Amino acid sequence: MAIIEVEHIRKEFKIAKRETGIAGALKSIFNRKFTIKEAVQDISFTIEKGEMVGYIGPNGAGKSTTIKILTGILVPTSGKVLVNGIVPYENRQQNAKNIGVVFGQRTQLWWDLPTIESFELLKEIYQVSDKRYKENMDTFTEILGLDEFINTPVRQLSLGQRMRADIAASLLHDPEILYLDEPTIGLDVVAKEKMRQFIQEINRIRQVTVILTTHDMEDIEKLCKRMILIDHGQKVYDGAIDTVKNRFGKMRTLVVDVEENGKDLVLSGGELIRVEGNRKWIRFNRDEISASQLIAQITSTHNITDLTVEEPTIESIISRIYQEGLSEEAPVSVH
Amino acid sequence: MRILSYIQLYFRLVSAGIRAQMQYRFAFIMRIVGMLTAYAGTATTMWVVLYRFDALGQWNYYEMLFLFALAIVSWGFCIILFFHYISLDTYIVNGTFDRFLVRPINPFFHFMSMRFDVASFGQFIFSIVVFLWVSVALSIDWRLSKLLFLLASIVGGVLIQGGMLVMISALAFWTTKSNWFYWVVMFPARNLNNYPLSIYPKVVQWIAAFVVPFGFVNYFPATVILDKTPVGFPAYIGYFSPLVGLIFFTIAYAIWMLGLRRYKSAGS
Amino acid sequence: MSRWRIYYTFAKKSFLRSAAYRFDVWSRIFSNLIFLLTWSSIWIALYGGKEEANGISFTSMLTYVAVSQFLSAVNSAGTPLWEIQEKVRTGDIALELMRPFDVPLRYLFADFGSVAFYIITAVLPVYILLFLIFDFSLPDSWSTWVLFIFSALLGFLIRYAIELTFGLFAFWLVETGGVVDLFYFAMSLLSGSVIPLWFFPDWLQSLAFYLPFQGIYFIPNAIFIGEISGAELLVSIAIQCFWVIASFLLLRIVWHRAANKVIVQGG
Repeated sequence: MAIIEVEHIRKEFKIAKRETGIAGALKSIFNRKFTIKEAVQDISFTIEKGEMVGYIGPNGAGKSTTIKILTGILVPTSGKVLVNGIVPYENRQQNAKNIGVVFGQRTQLWWDLPTIESFELLKEIYQVSDKRYKENMDTFTEILGLDEFINTPVRQLSLGQRMRADIAASLLHDPEILYLDEPTIGLDVVAKEKMRQFIQEINRIRQVTVILTTHDMEDIEKLCKRMILIDHGQKVYDGAIDTVKNRFGKMRTLVVDVEENGKDLVLSGGELIRVEGNRKWIRFNRDEISASQLIAQITSTHNITDLTVEEPTIESIISRIYQEGLSEEAPVSVH
Repeated sequence: MRILSYIQLYFRLVSAGIRAQMQYRFAFIMRIVGMLTAYAGTATTMWVVLYRFDALGQWNYYEMLFLFALAIVSWGFCIILFFHYISLDTYIVNGTFDRFLVRPINPFFHFMSMRFDVASFGQFIFSIVVFLWVSVALSIDWRLSKLLFLLASIVGGVLIQGGMLVMISALAFWTTKSNWFYWVVMFPARNLNNYPLSIYPKVVQWIAAFVVPFGFVNYFPATVILDKTPVGFPAYIGYFSPLVGLIFFTIAYAIWMLGLRRYKSAGS
Repeated sequence: MSRWRIYYTFAKKSFLRSAAYRFDVWSRIFSNLIFLLTWSSIWIALYGGKEEANGISFTSMLTYVAVSQFLSAVNSAGTPLWEIQEKVRTGDIALELMRPFDVPLRYLFADFGSVAFYIITAVLPVYILLFLIFDFSLPDSWSTWVLFIFSALLGFLIRYAIELTFGLFAFWLVETGGVVDLFYFAMSLLSGSVIPLWFFPDWLQSLAFYLPFQGIYFIPNAIFIGEISGAELLVSIAIQCFWVIASFLLLRIVWHRAANKVIVQGG
């Protein structure tokens, strides 16, 4: 049985229409008009235990709404959700015992207290046994280097330290599911790498199911095997990241600087998509033509002074999917 | 979680908070001094008011001080327990409220334990000093029953004023105006409540008794302790203070939880 | 003089800004009215039906309370002190210090703008209504009205300068402790905002006469209800003028210090 089952959830928000002017303000007291915004139109997916899934989409796509529903904070307008067999928004406390949450920018710890106090308080709140508490704290201290700042008040911690503490705190009670929202935001390159390593270990060793929402495509690429892409409240893609790269990552861009000689560039097999002065961007499908073939075409008419071949990043692939939608060749769900 | 565990947890949270604040001893003391100065100021104003007159609506200076101190002592507890409730709008707007919903404990209780403003204990110094001074000046006969009643009415006062803070807080679930509402409405109203209810128009008295029960915080209990008649009300009305507090707070709690339910279905 | 053009622009901007936030602006009148209710009830109870006390008639006393609350509303409509303190603390004030105008004056004119909006759209209508409903005593000659308005303006200026001076000064103290509360209490009591100076104990009255606070509420209030007139009135206005000059001079000194600190140390 899947650990998370989401079936056709829909979430509508009523947004009050703001009237301007005094007359409008008075009117709105007696007769409020609403517009209905559908944050989530129809989303379904299942997640198995131990998976690490990237849940991505542009701003306003409905990501945080879905996560809020899964964590029990929000009640969906319709649809069914089962997390570990229970309905999260109906059994909020029960569900809470089994999940860990890290909200990137906002800490879950007690601001004015030394970091260790937060851990002790969480131990009480989640009723973690003394033995398990010690074991976990030892592990986290070792891997994340917590002892360096364990007695410092949370508000004096650097961002990197705080996020290390936050993620340790989210795992203190051995949850089966971990929701990570922007876990590497604002961290420097080294810290990001360390954080990613930690998340990978957690997933591998403890079999914690991880749902990662982030705008950092490197996170997705390095951590997740599967990605669910949503846009405008609907699921646009659900499948392995490699498949996405293979299917949509076939395009390359050849960027050449040429000496102008008044002649037009003649290309077959490649498409000139952008020109800026001497620089030309040519898109081509690597399955249909190779870069060297294109270069040969160009040198027959022009002198090339500089060139690069750009590979699409997950980011560009996804932004293309956002902008152009999926082509007919690609099925929506690929497992 | 069972009630006992909640209490245990609350004490833990509170002691952690106290330890954190005690680290800044100088600031801590200065805050207490600040509060004492503010209250001393009000007491001085009252003294000047009564300098050329003997009494305010049949309340002499000492009786007025008692009334004031009684309001302060329960307000002190309120600040410690509930004052951050009015900032719920800030928590929601910043997105920092959601973390309370992700933990396996009651969110009202969790939010309550977030801040424990220890410095507000300083207010008790003022009230205790005033109680002692006034007791001597008015020769109050502190029988055990009277003392117990004083404590009970303080509890009532805490529940009533706390209940108001909770209700104001609940506004944040529907609008974002909880903080504003406190400063524009409750703050002036508290000032109004520092003076005997009998001097105000009947409408105000009625509201302070039956709608937003300010009167039960200090005026009605004070009439019982000081053996005065509450004008226009039965003499025993002060005894109801703890009960009124309990009912009012329960209503406030219910409204807050209702707001929370709305928040969970409507988002923010 | 283009300088004044700049200040006028600030006033106008502030006026328009208040219009945009009119809900917040108007809600302030609500708390003002609660205070009016509180203090008029207190004075009605103090008089206890008597027609006069200490030489002041009952009607005059109630008028005093109403006028005082009116001026209190006017005086509370400016930029909150903590906003300016925050800018100084973070060093953001440096941005304003680089501009070709005098910063305290700029905030004063901004206050003129927001106060004007508040008065015109909220305070005046409400208080005109109150004066029509209730039996207050109004000044009987035009000159009294003019002198009252002039005196109230002087009071506003005194309050502005003193409050800003104190605000800047206080923010230098690491933890102000009771100093801020003491200041506001002193200003509230000794300005005669809720108790006219005639009802003070003699020693306190003498103290108050030597302080600038009386110029904020007591003098304009007393002019309005006609308790100060003739030579005494002119002397009072002169006292106010003196305090306007003195407090602005003090403001200048303290401001200079604060600005230097910001420029040199960066806040």
